[in-house]
Amino acid sequence: MGGVEDDEPPSKRVKVTSIDSGGISNSLYLRQRACTHTLSDSMARLLATEGDDEVVGSKGIIKKVELVRVIAEALYSLGYSKSGACLEEESGIPFHAPEIDFFMHHILEGQWDESVAVLHKFGVTDETIVKLASLAIFEQKFSELLDDGKVMDALETLRTEITPLCVNYKRVRELSSLVLSPSQNLLDGTSSKGSKLESRKILLDKLRKLLPPKVIVPEKRLVQLVEQALVLQKDACKFHNSSVGKMSLLADHQCGRDHIPTQTLQVLQEHEDEILVLQFSHNGKYLASSSGDHLVIIWEVLDAGQVLLKHRLYGHQKSVSCISWSPDDKQLLTCGGELVRRWDVTLGECLYIYEKSGLGLVSCAWAPDGKSVFSGVTDKSIIMWDLEGKELECWRRQRTLRNADLGITSNTKELITVCKETVVLLFGWESKSERFIEEDQIITSFSLSEDGKFLLLSLWNEELHLWNIDGSPRLVSKYKGHKRSRFVLQSCFGGLDHAFISSGSEDSQVYIWHRLSGELILTLAGHTGAVNCVSWNPANPHMLASASDDRTIRIWGLNQVNVNNNGRHSNGVHHCNGGS
Amino acid sequence: MGRVFAVTLEGKIYSCKHCGTHLALDDDIVSKSFHSRHGKAYLFSKVANVTLGEKEERMMMTGSHIVVDIFCVQCGSIVGWKYETAREKSQKYKEGKSVLERFKISGPDGSNYWVSHGAHFGGSDADDV
Repeated sequence: MGGVEDDEPPSKRVKVTSIDSGGISNSLYLRQRACTHTLSDSMARLLATEGDDEVVGSKGIIKKVELVRVIAEALYSLGYSKSGACLEEESGIPFHAPEIDFFMHHILEGQWDESVAVLHKFGVTDETIVKLASLAIFEQKFSELLDDGKVMDALETLRTEITPLCVNYKRVRELSSLVLSPSQNLLDGTSSKGSKLESRKILLDKLRKLLPPKVIVPEKRLVQLVEQALVLQKDACKFHNSSVGKMSLLADHQCGRDHIPTQTLQVLQEHEDEILVLQFSHNGKYLASSSGDHLVIIWEVLDAGQVLLKHRLYGHQKSVSCISWSPDDKQLLTCGGELVRRWDVTLGECLYIYEKSGLGLVSCAWAPDGKSVFSGVTDKSIIMWDLEGKELECWRRQRTLRNADLGITSNTKELITVCKETVVLLFGWESKSERFIEEDQIITSFSLSEDGKFLLLSLWNEELHLWNIDGSPRLVSKYKGHKRSRFVLQSCFGGLDHAFISSGSEDSQVYIWHRLSGELILTLAGHTGAVNCVSWNPANPHMLASASDDRTIRIWGLNQVNVNNNGRHSNGVHHCNGGS
Repeated sequence: MGRVFAVTLEGKIYSCKHCGTHLALDDDIVSKSFHSRHGKAYLFSKVANVTLGEKEERMMMTGSHIVVDIFCVQCGSIVGWKYETAREKSQKYKEGKSVLERFKISGPDGSNYWVSHGAHFGGSDADDV
């Protein structure tokens, strides 16, 4: 490969001036070669090794040449240039040709014509890439000439070098307009008063991304591949429920069941009748439950994990079938006996009662801004009040059936209801848009994920269907195994990153599925009646609450024995199952 | 018990005599000439708000059938049966359909039916045609 100082001894490399590691990757540093080999055949050798068929690994899918080059890039990225050079020598596989080094040098020194010349010697077969790269280089030249005030030279460049390459004539016009108003700048928002070096480094990064990986190994490629593998391991881990921080490369990641709540830590027995609805507050500090005895209880979750009774909310004449926490968790809405009550959580007092004369209210939800309240009505309409009870809006015509579920998304500003037996309506209350989800089976209840992107439907035929409602609604997974033939069972999302789906069941157990794989991973036994509701603490992935016809609420947590013994000697204290 | 899930029907409704839960629509009646132990019974193409019992082979007036008893989802009282499989070809039309005993349901006008002495005590089922 002629044209570039061929006779310069390889040990004396041309050094690039004043590079700081911020703007440019280590691996492209000109490096001291601890070894020697002639320049001229290095590119040829590089291309020759491409044809080498040697593979590595049991599956025969990894090319040895590529593996070595990627490792070399990793060594250079980490700053181990001697090792990198040694690897190249010992393997006989060049990391990349020295033309790249010269190319880099020319760019950073502003030797535009030389850099374009070297560009053509890379052996890139795709003409478009060569064009685009040359174009980027000339545009840089053009803008630097303009900045230096060499307008005539800039115009010369535009005419003779840029225009012949340009596929995009609009661009040529844009550039020529810059000649007239040189105060504007081209360079991706960087100030022309800033260092030229900075913008040249940006150009170099851009060129690096443009050139094919065979010519320049993408930056930090090995790290990228390793991260891909780790992410896949994490996704495949069915019990993954705790932040693992840094994952180990030395063994495949696999959480045991120890990170999922499996043990009853507390049994709460304050209710005197079957428990119908259960819901943690957004901050995980409170739990609200409603029961057949018409009572709603607010529980407080202490930092240590213990759950204590905070308030008994008297007032409803019938059982409450819908609970909604305000966005700031300071107030609570409860819907029961055809009206809605708003409560202060700290004081445990009823602040307001919402009613619609002649009609009944069946569901309730807070607006995301906390300033208004929505409710489903027995005449199938949805009503919106401000906090003082002034009716702001009423949407009629088949908006909701009598299901006690009213979902609300803050990002898309949609209300979610079951509008027909097998159809869910997503109604934009400001935009008046309507989207629908249609199922084959009757929908008994639903639950919305905290980020408002997923909807979990509980169907008549004992299946849970997960829909992605971010964008066009699409069915993502189905979960089966639990028993449902008579009751409305509450289901929920839970765990770290909503990795799990949980539901109650008429066989007295709590069911937990792995969300991504759909696999049933756990059933928790303990209740002695149908489990009507489950709620996973949004702030604590290790706490799950369930409530049942047996009149109790169970708080589930990690299996204490295993957690304590994990890798450490037991301190002799014996923990028994069943908690306190 | 927990919150029972029951759908609300619209039209001329037959509901459970004990608790008023909607069970079927007049439009879905296939035949009114069925009988049960308690007298008259109607065959419906579909019913709502029922749970199913265990499959059983039963000898009926028109032959042997595999049926399941059906119960009101709210109060649990037995309201009739559903045909799963009919042994005779001529009876295949019953498969998937349900019989509600007139004695167990309130009619669309709220009327009830009392077991009369003349009721057919011999057996259940009926011919139609």
